[in-house]
Amino acid sequence: MIGEPLLRTEGLTCDFGALRAVNRVTLSVQAGTLHSVIGPNGSGKTTLFNLISGELRPTDGRVYFEGRDITGLPSHRLPHLGLARCFQRTNVFPKLTTYENVWVAAFAGRTPGALGFLRRASEFSAVDTEVRRILGDIGLAHKTAAPAETLSHGQQRALEVGVTLASSPRLVLLDEPTQGLAPEATQQMTQLVQRLVGRYTILLIEHKMRIVMSISDRISVMAVGELIAEGTPDEVRENRDVQRAYLGTRR
Amino acid sequence: MSRLWSRNEAVLRFVLLLAAIVVLPLLVRPVVASEIWIFAIAAMALNLIFGYTGMLSFGQATFFGLAAYTAGLMMIHWQAPLLAVLAAGTLVGALAAAVLGYVCIQRVGTYFIMLTFGFNQMFFFIAYKWTSVTGGDDGLPGIPRPPLALGPASIRLDSSLRYYVFVAAVFLLAFYAMKRIVDSPLGVIFQSIRENPGRAAAVGYDVKRYKWIAFTIAGGFTGSAGVLYSMMFGIVPLESMSWIISGDIVFMVLIGGIGNLYGPLLGAAAFKWLSEAISVVWERWPLILGVALVLVVLFLRGGLVEAFTRLRDAVGGPRARREPGERVAVGVTAERETGW
Repeated sequence: MIGEPLLRTEGLTCDFGALRAVNRVTLSVQAGTLHSVIGPNGSGKTTLFNLISGELRPTDGRVYFEGRDITGLPSHRLPHLGLARCFQRTNVFPKLTTYENVWVAAFAGRTPGALGFLRRASEFSAVDTEVRRILGDIGLAHKTAAPAETLSHGQQRALEVGVTLASSPRLVLLDEPTQGLAPEATQQMTQLVQRLVGRYTILLIEHKMRIVMSISDRISVMAVGELIAEGTPDEVRENRDVQRAYLGTRR
Repeated sequence: MSRLWSRNEAVLRFVLLLAAIVVLPLLVRPVVASEIWIFAIAAMALNLIFGYTGMLSFGQATFFGLAAYTAGLMMIHWQAPLLAVLAAGTLVGALAAAVLGYVCIQRVGTYFIMLTFGFNQMFFFIAYKWTSVTGGDDGLPGIPRPPLALGPASIRLDSSLRYYVFVAAVFLLAFYAMKRIVDSPLGVIFQSIRENPGRAAAVGYDVKRYKWIAFTIAGGFTGSAGVLYSMMFGIVPLESMSWIISGDIVFMVLIGGIGNLYGPLLGAAAFKWLSEAISVVWERWPLILGVALVLVVLFLRGGLVEAFTRLRDAVGGPRARREPGERVAVGVTAERETGW
């Protein structure tokens, strides 16, 4: 079962001036799994995501996706290779409708030749089908015509995930999808993420322990920029280093 | 996908546009009427890059003027036919925009604006100093208005009314082309870049490439407007390349309403009409223009289009009432409360 992992980082390092935000992180994500990255605030999780998704260039180290070196590729290339991300702070297109938000992401993966641009946007029926399927998946089928800025926070988080899924990725990077959600919406988001398992390989950053422990196949733990533990939820729960990172050292 | 409210309304608006084209030369001098549609094309072009893609160009006169001089020189020295001149001017506008735009889109925000402005000043200075070709300060005089050759038929455009008909026809073609661009996938991609360039890149678009495409297309449209302008008075004035024209085009788009196909047309009409009507009575009319602009920016961000929408909603009662900015896309489904 352990073949070439879908995503592999090798000694990934990122410095912001004198601060080392991510320090020699080597990580493998197996296809078909839900792999979580946890760690206290400021431990470098989001920076790690930004390095993988091309928003930041690493100071050192490499990123391989499906065996291919993607280090330093511009972020707009990655969706075309099968890697898409969603953001921690909701990051959609505020004045576009829900439908248009997902449409523009779905279309990116199917850009036709120059002649295709002579057609009207509404004439791409395959894109339309895909958009409606995703809007159904994320529970926003009744909001197609609403501008994204008019959606509730929970709906915007769901749209954020929908925009990410629209490029038909094989690997989805989810950065704290439940961030700032009320308990009920958190539960819905968790169910949404669970429904994605099996269809997509997921790399998830999440703060809420209960969620992480219940839905992850594997968990990597970061602290001060370094990977300090990795394993199944049970292994991580028992790990001394992890307990120390979260609860502080007893001296 | 369409941001239009409904099919019927779209048809109604187009019919109103056609009616305006017919009625306009009865209300104002045909020369002013021609100017309105010429600047409507330029305003429409700026709207594509400003209203749709989110880049404010303060240098559209570069492409307007380059095309006007190109057209003038072709007609003076080569007696070039009308449609060839129109095509050449459009091409020159697009090519110049492709080259200059490639540099400008490397920066965003204020720096982008300053780059477009800087290039504008540069080309203005060239036109001003290169008197042997452009006539410098005196402008480029002696431009003929060649007949429109359609197959064997040759239609003279010597009267200002005949020329108006030709300008209106070119405008309608440009309007249709612009509508198709906005309705094509490009329209949605441009808007996504305006809304959130970082996210547009994250879903897979090469943002700079699409900005460059928008800028180039707009340059072509602005060029065709410049060609029409060159034949209006038989002279290409130096002013056609000046930043004042660039500013006028920005005013028109702002007053009319950005990010909407009809806004720039209303803006161009209001701007040219007012300047004609008021400047006769009061030479300090730019003062009124300034006041109008301040009022629009303070109270009517959607420009004249928003004023019309508000008026209609007030008259039409609750049925027609909508939240500002709310749109209804194709395939609307009824709103229903769910858990989200």
